[in-house]
Order: sequence, then structure tokens, then C-alpha cells
Amino acid sequence: MLWKDKYNLGVEQIDAQHRELFRRVSDFLEVLRSSSSWEERVGKVNETLSFMKDYVITHFRDEEAYQIQIGYPEYDAHKQTHDDMVSYVAQFAAEYEQKGYDEKLIQQFAGKLLAWLIHHVAADDQKIGAYAKKKGV
Amino acid sequence: MYKPFFNATREVFQLMLDISNITDKPLCVDGVCYPAGNVDIAIRVIGDMEGMVVYHFPKETSLKIVKIMSGGMEFNEVDEFVASAMGEIANIISGNVMSALSTQDITCDILPPEFIAPETIADASAKYKFVSGMQICSEIGDIDLNILLNVKSGAEKA
Repeated sequence: MLWKDKYNLGVEQIDAQHRELFRRVSDFLEVLRSSSSWEERVGKVNETLSFMKDYVITHFRDEEAYQIQIGYPEYDAHKQTHDDMVSYVAQFAAEYEQKGYDEKLIQQFAGKLLAWLIHHVAADDQKIGAYAKKKGV
Repeated sequence: MYKPFFNATREVFQLMLDISNITDKPLCVDGVCYPAGNVDIAIRVIGDMEGMVVYHFPKETSLKIVKIMSGGMEFNEVDEFVASAMGEIANIISGNVMSALSTQDITCDILPPEFIAPETIADASAKYKFVSGMQICSEIGDIDLNILLNVKSGAEKA
């Protein structure tokens, strides 16, 4: 299981979305890394990729709205981090489609996404929870 | 100069992999040295310091790291997924170092990770000063690190 309880910020709205995000990433990785041929997998991989991508964008938007609501001082830097990842995902998606759904490309994307997501939630997002707790919101 | 990298690696390993027992020891003191056959990733540095930091992750360590991050999925070879995940790990560690250095008024930025050939490391050794070589020791393996940086005046305190 990808999710760990230590990733909880103590903000239920964000935590619930993080759990859902990790679930979708997990589904995506399971299909991507299964042993069947690429031709057999590619349809399902693309479906789970799309489902995950949409949720990443939704979650980032909601998390940023929460940060504004509580007056989170590192909002600008945090939003930039989100924007950079959204740009990367968009760039990847365009190249992946343009190259006819190349397996090596999406494996590369998935590896980076996994490491990035774990660090982002375990490090950057935890600061939101710490701030919210300090402010008593 | 190697302490910021050791501290950043320890923090990333604790945070992302739940590995706490991390120690370090010097690598070669006279210049770049590293074992063959590892996953060699270079992060170029620009700004108050210029050069590159090269991480040498043993293949087995790389596979263990990705297994931990993926919640136990098995990886048998360093394929595109594993290599990319390790590149991001090197990126994260290096980014944390740059953030730490910025609190000492040392301003640097990093470029995206590169999977680097021995010839490129040799070229970099000729161009940049060998600052430090270290080995970071953990329960999942030992990671060698070579730091090649030209330090601009005023940034020597790092």
C-alpha cells in the first residue's frame, strides 16, 4: 500500500483527498507494472492515467483554496510547486500521445511521479498542517 | 561541503523510506572515485557554486528504494521507472541542499537529473574542483557521492 498514516496532516478535507490520490496512483502503478503485454495493458493504463491526472488537478486546486482560506504564508511557493508539476504532467501527456503511447516514456513518468508525490505530501504538505494547528484553524 | 548533502540525504531517507540509521564516511580524498555498474546520476549546479554532484546508487539499493516507495512492489531491474524514480530522489536531495545553503546567503540552482557516463564525469573532474567524496551508509546499501564544484568568492563558508 502506498499510503501511510504519517502522511496525514490533521486536516480531514486534505487528508481524504490525499488518500484518494494515493489510491488512484496505486491503481495506475498496478496496471502499469503488471506482467501482461503492453498491447494488452495500454488501454487500461491510459484510463487510470487520465483518472489520476484529473484528480491531481482537482486536489491541487482544492488544497490551494484551503491555503488561502487559512492565510498560509507559503502559499505562493507551494502553488508554484503545484503549477510546475501540472506543467510537467501536461508536457508528458502531450509527448506520450504524440509518440503513440510509448511504454518507456510512461514508465519514466510514473517513476518520477511516485518519488515526487511521496516527498511532496510527506514534506511540503505537512507544513500546511503544522501551520493550521498553530493557528488553531 | 559534504555535510549539507549528508544531512539532506538522511532527511529524505527518513521521510520517504522510514530509514533512520544513516552514517557517512569519506570516500577517496584525492579525486573522484566510484565503483562501476551503479546507477550514476549527476545534478548540475549553477549560481554561487558551479559544477555537479554525482550520486552513485548501487543497483540493488535502487531496487530496494523503489520497492519501499511503491509499497512493496517487486522490481528486478533498473528500468525506466526505477531510473526515473532515482533521478527524482537525487533531485529532491540536491534541492534540499540548495535550500539549506540559501539560508547562508549562498544562492544556487540545480538542473534536471542526468544519467551520466564515465567520460562526462572525467570531463567534469577536469573542469570543476573536486570538493569532496563521501559514502552514505544505510541498511539498504551504501551510496557514493562525488561533489565537483567551483565555489565563487564569498561562498566558501559552505
